[in-house]
Amino acid sequence: MRYPFFAVLFLAAAAGLAQPARPAPPPAVNGCIECHTVLDDPRITPPAKLFADDVHAKAGFTCVFCHGGDARQESQEDAHDPKKGFIGKPRPQQIPQLCGKCHSDPALMKQYDPSQRVDQLSEYQTSGHGKALARGDQTVAQCASCHGAHGIQPVKDSRSPVSPTKVAQTCNHCHGDAALMAAHKLPSDPYAKWSRSVHYRARVERADLSAPTCNSCHGNHGAAPPQVGSVTNVCGTCHVTFADQFKLSPHWEAFKELGLPGCVTCHENHEIVKPSEAFLAEGDQGKCSSCHEAGSPGARAAAAMRTDLVGLDGEIQQASRLVDRATEAGMEVSKVRFDLVAASNALTKARSQIHLFRPSAVHEAVAEGLKVARKAAAGGQARLKERDFRQRGLFVSLGLILLTIVALVVKIRERGPGPEEPGDPGNRREPS
Amino acid sequence: MSGAKRSSSSVPEPSAAGESRLRAWARDRLGWDDLAHMAEKKRVPVHRYTLFYYLGGMALFLFLVQVATGILLLLYYRPSSAEAFESVQYVMADVPFGWLIRSIHSWGANLFVGVVFAHLISVFFLKAYRAPREMTWVSGGVLLFLALGFGFSGYLLPWNTLAFFATKVGTDVPAQIPGIGHLLSRILRGGSDVTGATLSRFYGIHVAILPAITTLILGAHLLLVQRHGMSVPRSVEGKTRRTISFVPDFLMRDMVGWLAAVGLLAALAAFFPWELGVKADPFAPAPAGIRPEWYFLWMFQGLKYLPSKIAGIPGETLGVFFFGALAAAVVAVPWLDRRGKRGIAVAAIVILALAAVLTVLALLPVPSAGPK
Repeated sequence: MRYPFFAVLFLAAAAGLAQPARPAPPPAVNGCIECHTVLDDPRITPPAKLFADDVHAKAGFTCVFCHGGDARQESQEDAHDPKKGFIGKPRPQQIPQLCGKCHSDPALMKQYDPSQRVDQLSEYQTSGHGKALARGDQTVAQCASCHGAHGIQPVKDSRSPVSPTKVAQTCNHCHGDAALMAAHKLPSDPYAKWSRSVHYRARVERADLSAPTCNSCHGNHGAAPPQVGSVTNVCGTCHVTFADQFKLSPHWEAFKELGLPGCVTCHENHEIVKPSEAFLAEGDQGKCSSCHEAGSPGARAAAAMRTDLVGLDGEIQQASRLVDRATEAGMEVSKVRFDLVAASNALTKARSQIHLFRPSAVHEAVAEGLKVARKAAAGGQARLKERDFRQRGLFVSLGLILLTIVALVVKIRERGPGPEEPGDPGNRREPS
Repeated sequence: MSGAKRSSSSVPEPSAAGESRLRAWARDRLGWDDLAHMAEKKRVPVHRYTLFYYLGGMALFLFLVQVATGILLLLYYRPSSAEAFESVQYVMADVPFGWLIRSIHSWGANLFVGVVFAHLISVFFLKAYRAPREMTWVSGGVLLFLALGFGFSGYLLPWNTLAFFATKVGTDVPAQIPGIGHLLSRILRGGSDVTGATLSRFYGIHVAILPAITTLILGAHLLLVQRHGMSVPRSVEGKTRRTISFVPDFLMRDMVGWLAAVGLLAALAAFFPWELGVKADPFAPAPAGIRPEWYFLWMFQGLKYLPSKIAGIPGETLGVFFFGALAAAVVAVPWLDRRGKRGIAVAAIVILALAAVLTVLALLPVPSAGPK
C-alpha cells in the first residue's frame, strides 16, 4: 500500500460505520489522547503515544475517525458511547473497509495527495489475503498487518514497515512463520530463498532499489503468486529483452502446452541465482537436461551454445589476464581495456541470446565478442612485448652508461687527486 | 689581456689546423678563450665535505633534464580539461618513446625537488651562507620555492582524479589567509573552483612564468657561485688542502653522478612508468586517499592535526602563517644565524624531524571505516 490506510479508520469511525463515507472536519479537541496517555495501561497507552507521530495525526485526523465515539467527553462512558459510533478496536474484517472509506475516495485523497492511488481496497479484495479474509480467515494480512495500526508512516519513510528496504522482512513476518504457513499449505522459506538470490544481493547488499523485492512480483495490495501463464510477463517488466526473446523462441508455445511457468522453469522463483554456462550442461546445475535427453536435438543445441559461450568467456579471461599483467608492468592499457569491456558486453549479449534457444543467434553474438576479445588479447600481448623491449633497451642503455662511467673513473684516476699543497703531505700519489 | 694578444700567442699546432681555424673564429667573435680560461682557472677545494658540492651540479643537471623533457612533452600536450588527459594518454601509449619522456619528466621532477632539498640542507649545515654568500643562499632558497611551484603546477596538468582533488585542497590553503586569502585562491584557480580555467592557468605558470623567473634567479645564483667560488666549511677552513680544477676534474666527477642519475631515471621509467590514473571528473565525489606530492605531505598532514581553533584563531590560518613564516625564515637564515650559537641548527633539526614524522604519518594507509 502506498498511502496509509488508517486515515480511513479515523474518518470512518468518526462518522460512524452507518454514516455517509465523507468524514466530518477534524474536531479541535482529541480528549482520547489526554486519557489514554496517562492511564499507563500497556493495552491502550502505547497506541496513544505512537499516534502522535502518525501521518494521519499530522494531517489533523484524530482517534474517533477510526474508533468512533466522542473525543470531547470527559467521562469514559460518554466518550465510548456506541450510540456515537464507538467501535473500540476494529476487527480484522472491518479494517479494509474502514481504511477504504477514505483511501477509496478520490475527492478526499486529492486534498492530501493528488497522485495517491485509490484502488487499494479493490486490489486487496482480489488478493490471496483479501479472499481469505472474506472467507473469515482472521490470520491473513489486512491493512494494519503491514502498515501498522498507530504510528503509521508514509511508505517512502524508512521507518515504515513497508518502506522499500523493509517490505521483505514485513512479508516474512508471516510468510516465514512455519506453523502459520503450514496451516495455509504455503512454503515458509521464500524469504530465505530470496536472500540467496541475485535480487537480494542487488537490493540489500548494493542498495539498488530497482531490484525486486516481494511486492515487485507479487503486487502489494493485490498480492498473489503470478499465474503460470503470466510469469514471463512479470519477469519481463524488468528483463524486457529476455522476455521478448523467449516469446520468439520455440519454448514459448511448448511451455504453454506443458503448463510450465516460463522463466521460473529454469531460473527458480525466489532463489534466483546468477545464471552460468553450467545451466546448458548436463549434471546437477543443468537446466536443459531436465527435459532434453542426451543426444536429442535440444541437448545438442544446448551443448553448441555452451561451447560457444565457454569459448568466448575463456578468451576474455585470457585477454584479461594479459591486460592485467601489462597493467602491473605499468603499461598504458586504457584502450585495450575498452576492447575488453566491449568483449564482455558481447558475451552478455550472447548470453541473452540463449533465450531465443537458437544456437545460430548465440554463435553470431559470440563471433562478434571473439573478434574484440582477440583484439584485446593482441593489445595486451603487444604491451607486454613493449615492456620487454623497454627492459632490454634499458639494460643496453645502462651498459653504455656504466661503460662511460668506468671510462670517466679511469680518466679521473689517471689525472690523480690534484696538486698537493705544502704542509699537506698525506695522500700523495705517484703519477700513474 | 686583449683578444688580439691572446690570438697571436696561442697559435695552434699544424696538425690541428682545421680545429684551430674554428677556435680562432670562435675566439675572435665569441670570446671563447675567456670562458675556457675562466674554466681552467676555477679550482674546487677537496676535503671531507666535497661530496656535498656535487648536489648543486646534480640539481642543475636534473633541472636541464626537466627543461628538455618538458619541451618534448609540449609538442603533444593540450592544455584543456577536455583534452589534457587524452593527450597525456596518447603520449604514454602511442607516441614513440613518449612513455620514456613523460616518465623521466615525472620521476625527474621528484628527484629534482629531492636533490634541491638535499642541496639546501647540506649548504645550511655546512654554513655555506656565511658572508659574502648571503645572496647565493637567498637565490637558492627562492629556487627551492620555484621548484615546489613547478611541482604543484605540473601535478595538475595530466588532469587526473588524484591531481584534480589534490589541487582543490592545495588551492584552498591560501584561502586561510585573512583578508586576501580568498582573492589569492581565486587568482590561483582562475575562478571560485578548480576548473579548466585552473588548468590553463597552471599550464601557463608551469611552462612560461616559472621557467622565466627560474632562468633569471638560476642565472644569478650561478653567477654568484662563480663570483664567490666554493665555500669551505669552518671545520676545514684555514687548513692546508688539495684542490682540483673545475674543468675537467670536477666536471668529470659531476658527470659520473649525472650519468648515474640518467640510469636511475631510465630504470624508473622502464620498470615503473609514471601512472596516469583516471580522468578527473569534477562532478564525482572526492576519492579516498587524496594527497599531494611527497614534498607537500608534511604540510598537508600538519594542517590535518591542527585543532579548528587555537586561541580563537582558526587552526588552519595559524598553520598557513607558520608555513609562511618558515619560508621567510629559510630565506633569512644568513641573518638569523648568530655566530657561536646553535639555536638555528637545533630548530632546523626539530623542523626536519617533525616534517619527516608527518610525512611518514601521511604515507601510512588510512584505516577503513568498518562496523563498530
